[in-house]
Amino acid sequence: MMRIEAIIQPSRFESVKEALHQMGVEGMTVSEVRGHGRQKGHTETYRGREYEVDLLPKIKIEMVLPQNLVDGAVQTILKTARTGKIGDGKIFLSKIDEAIRIRDEERGEGAL
Amino acid sequence: MGIPSTTVLRDFYAEEFARIEREFRVTSDGRSATEGRASLLDRVILDLSREFLAPEPGELKKLCLVALGGYGRRELFPHSDVDLMFLWEDRTAESHYREGTQAVARALWDMRLRLSPTHRFVSECEKFQRDNPEFNISVLDSRYLVGDRELFAQLRNKALPHMIHTAWSDLLRDLSELTQQRHNKEGYTIFHLEPNLKNSPGGLRDYHVAWWVRLISKMEKSGRWATSEDIWPRNARRDMVAAFDFLAAARCFLHYRQGRDDNALSYELQAAAAARGIGIENCRAIEPAEWMRIYFRHTRAVYALCTQLLDEALPAPSTFRSRLGWKSRRSHSGFSVVGARMSVQEPASLRDPQRLLQVFEYIARHGIKLSREAEDQIRDALSARVDLGSIIPTLWSNFREILLAPHAAEALRAMHSAGLLVRLFPEFGAIDSLVVRDYYHHYTVDAHSFMAIENIHRLREAQQNWERPFANIFSELEEPELLFLSLLFHDVGKGMPCEDHVAGSMEAIEKVFTRVNLQAEQADTVRFLIHDHLAMSASLLRRDIFDPETIRVFAEQVGTPERLKLLCLFTYADIRAVNPDALTPWKAESLWQLYVLTANYLSRNLDEERFGAVAADLQFIDRIFPLVSANASREELASFLEGLPRRYLFAHSAEEIASHFQMARKLKEKSVQLLLERRGQIYALTLLATDRPFLFAGVSGTLASWGMDIWKAEAFANTAGTVVDTFHFTDPHKTLELNPSELERLQTNIEDVLTGVTARETLLRGRAGAQLKAEPKISIPTQIRFDDSSSPHSTLMEIVTQDRPGLLFGLSSTLANFGCNIEVALIDTEGQRALDTFYLTFGGAKLSADTQERLRVRLLAQE
Repeated sequence: MMRIEAIIQPSRFESVKEALHQMGVEGMTVSEVRGHGRQKGHTETYRGREYEVDLLPKIKIEMVLPQNLVDGAVQTILKTARTGKIGDGKIFLSKIDEAIRIRDEERGEGAL
Repeated sequence: MGIPSTTVLRDFYAEEFARIEREFRVTSDGRSATEGRASLLDRVILDLSREFLAPEPGELKKLCLVALGGYGRRELFPHSDVDLMFLWEDRTAESHYREGTQAVARALWDMRLRLSPTHRFVSECEKFQRDNPEFNISVLDSRYLVGDRELFAQLRNKALPHMIHTAWSDLLRDLSELTQQRHNKEGYTIFHLEPNLKNSPGGLRDYHVAWWVRLISKMEKSGRWATSEDIWPRNARRDMVAAFDFLAAARCFLHYRQGRDDNALSYELQAAAAARGIGIENCRAIEPAEWMRIYFRHTRAVYALCTQLLDEALPAPSTFRSRLGWKSRRSHSGFSVVGARMSVQEPASLRDPQRLLQVFEYIARHGIKLSREAEDQIRDALSARVDLGSIIPTLWSNFREILLAPHAAEALRAMHSAGLLVRLFPEFGAIDSLVVRDYYHHYTVDAHSFMAIENIHRLREAQQNWERPFANIFSELEEPELLFLSLLFHDVGKGMPCEDHVAGSMEAIEKVFTRVNLQAEQADTVRFLIHDHLAMSASLLRRDIFDPETIRVFAEQVGTPERLKLLCLFTYADIRAVNPDALTPWKAESLWQLYVLTANYLSRNLDEERFGAVAADLQFIDRIFPLVSANASREELASFLEGLPRRYLFAHSAEEIASHFQMARKLKEKSVQLLLERRGQIYALTLLATDRPFLFAGVSGTLASWGMDIWKAEAFANTAGTVVDTFHFTDPHKTLELNPSELERLQTNIEDVLTGVTARETLLRGRAGAQLKAEPKISIPTQIRFDDSSSPHSTLMEIVTQDRPGLLFGLSSTLANFGCNIEVALIDTEGQRALDTFYLTFGGAKLSADTQERLRVRLLAQE
């Protein structure tokens, strides 16, 4: 099992979610986050006041998948989240040792 | 029938329980099912008392078995608790029957009934039990089961009336506090995706709170118990009976289906209840959304009556009284405030539709609710076919006052509840209690629309940091009423038979316009807001808002800063009214960023975005040309528009532009054309002239010399050098309002200054004293910023400084004296902060860095 954490542009979220559903990914956790990588923020002036736009809005998708879905999910995110511009985001992968469904205590991939 | 053993009795109970359930499956009659179970329990308890207390019920002395709560009312739901009281006359009776009563209770528990037994002496029931409010309330519904009838009569006719007479206000206070706690837990709203049939606002508990308030009030006032026939107020009876029938059927359905006292109406159970036609005539299957619409209509009626009765029964909190104040009551002598509710002193006056609207204007101003009587009186007036047609000519001015007042949403809810809103605007009826069943929209569409309006008014008291920028935008709106009107009708299309709800709402608003008398450009703004109400959230969620192309496309769709402000607030209010968590601080910040980026685009790209001979621009000709006089040609109109910033085209209606064009045609006869109009408290001056030095300074100086306060201005010019300037100003000294003839003289004065008849330099001399004004409340340091990248041929200068009389005259005179030509000017004011943007050329080109610096020094020296 692998944990996929993808930080993507908010504007790409609907497409990514739809594409993941279509390839069989059933569950995900989504958060509204702010941050920056090399795409640094900037300053906006409005009515004589300066506004720091240093942390940019992003969407974080987290999911834990069985090994056989991981590559497909990563490719799907890469394909649908990419605009080719700076700020498209990142994907992080990490191994998961165990998963337990709270309702019935089922363990392993069956609990996903 | 002989005395059955408890085993036989258990089987008998199970069979009868199953029979009642079978009957319910056929009829879905909840009232009958609950009465059936109460009667079944009556029989079981009678048999048990024969077995354990006395073979003949008549032999029972000084003990009485009494049904309490729902069981007492014969509303015993399939898996509800059974409240049973063993009422003793004295200790002798208690010790004599103690064992027998324990055996009765044990037998009922053995039958797996959830029995809550209580033991009381009749003398205890005379006293209000401060630490047991639930008992005080449940005993109100006491009903004789078996035993000493005289003892029961003592309870019912002496002890309880005595308790109510001595402690009615404590009873009502407890009832109110318990209800408040419950409503607080449920967010004071009937709108929940998965409501609890018993505890959610408007549910069965509220129905019974209303019942108990009436029971207590009736006993306190008349000394007799209310019956099911006369417990409800005349006008509420039908609604309350229907609500109980529906809710009771639904609760029985849940209990039977879940096999326990589970009252949560989950999403899946809503669909199942709708498919079974629970609570629907002839058990007709309907769509889940329609079934929930019926649920919300019933709960709305129950919640309204419950809160009304509680408010009427209890004195208003002192904070509320002081907020309302004596003066406000005096100023509306036709209304009085009793408790926390308002009453109408002369109900007959409600036949006058003007008076009807005044009632709701009062609610909108003070946030006070209608008393039950007042609501009935309004309903009576409406059912008497009050002639609402007579207020159509003034409807907008009255309705506008309601929309603008801080408690507008409260007033609109009251108008809707009384039936007036739909009488005035039948289009709104399409979304009455309409459910959008998508697990995202928490509220019915009508409630969503009211809540959106409330969200804007609440910005006056913005608490969170992320709310404050929106509060600032709200304070800058020129015509917030247009925003409120749009919010009210933006979703009515959802209740209309059309594919696209926006198209339906657009169709509906045109009908609304036949009743509210808006000016052409106001109507255009409302059309824009409704038509494009999803544009900003779409850009926010589906576009990269930091991509300049996204901003360009969105800015072109919006057109003007004023429309951007309106749409931004619309989006804020609309998202926030979807569910309590829909507008996260994350979304709000992103919305604000989109707003800032677009606002800056609109002012910084103004010089570049000009009318030209492209297909998109030629559409403007098609709109405007039919409105110009017959002897003008399309080419002539195109030539007038050529080179004007596109913002001009968006900021003015087709009628206004046609009028400007006609003025431009008259420039050959008279070199300065003026149009001065009054719009509420604001005067709008439009000037057309051929471009010349000191033009802008001349007009602003003349207005300042007359004591006018310019808070917004725009200066544009077309390719041919015709200037179209607009100045929006207020008249703080009421010179023009009190002396209408001065309007003419002001225009003559402007013409004289522009044509050189009056020397510009003399303009402000006479007002030297007037300029010695009080110290500003806040100090705003002057900032001057130059930008060469926004326009290919002009330098943009943004200046933020302390607003003061004659400021614009001073600035524009300095620019003209310096040798700068104002290509475009945008003048705005925010409180005491002047925010002016000029697109400047110097010798026909951009300003060099050195020229910019010299100009900066000159402007700062002018302060």
